Amino acid sequence: MSQQKKVFSRRRVCRFCTDKDIVIDYKDSKTLKNFVTERGKIIPRRIYGTCAKHQRQLTEAVKRARQLALLPYTGNTQF
Amino acid sequence: MRHYETTYILRPNLGEEQFTEIIDRTNAIVTNDGGEIICLDRWGVKRLAYEINREIQGYYVYMNYAAPGKTVDEIERIFRIDDRVLRYLTVKLGDAMNAEAIEAEKQRIAEKAAARAKAQTDDADGDDFDGEVLEEEASEE
Repeated sequence: MSQQKKVFSRRRVCRFCTDKDIVIDYKDSKTLKNFVTERGKIIPRRIYGTCAKHQRQLTEAVKRARQLALLPYTGNTQF
Repeated sequence: MRHYETTYILRPNLGEEQFTEIIDRTNAIVTNDGGEIICLDRWGVKRLAYEINREIQGYYVYMNYAAPGKTVDEIERIFRIDDRVLRYLTVKLGDAMNAEAIEAEKQRIAEKAAARAKAQTDDADGDDFDGEVLEEEASEE
């Protein structure tokens, strides 16, 4: 029965691994906006299924973008 | 020499001459130390995600350069003194950089700019200021 339960949780693959065209860049705030919540928090990898390597790069990029005021530390990302 | 990129934010109300003065001074520091500017890109006035020193907008300048480590110390020292600079961020891109690598990097940036410019003509509502500056870079090559 436990086998059946697994069917519901679809295996997500890291979107950076599948699509090599997307580069994680702190200067590209438009792309990074997709990976933070409305309040500006970084979306955990259990939601998007990003692999550990890319999640690390993503976190680094978001933090750099925040330093440069490209993304907010807190508050609305849609400004 | 190492490969660095620095982005800095200037106060938006300085006027074009002061922007140019600060940019030229920064570039002079790099070249005086035997470094080389690979790409300089003025992103222009952008809205900041949060207020910095009571400013809600900032003039962004991006530079990509090869220089020894002490140059970065010097640039950052001057940025800290100058209160017209709101924020700066330096990222090390590579440990070793020779003339060949500099050429390769220039080529890569030019190609990227060309691709971006092409995408922009397809997609008219893009951020065209960015592309404009990059195009200029490409034509210099």
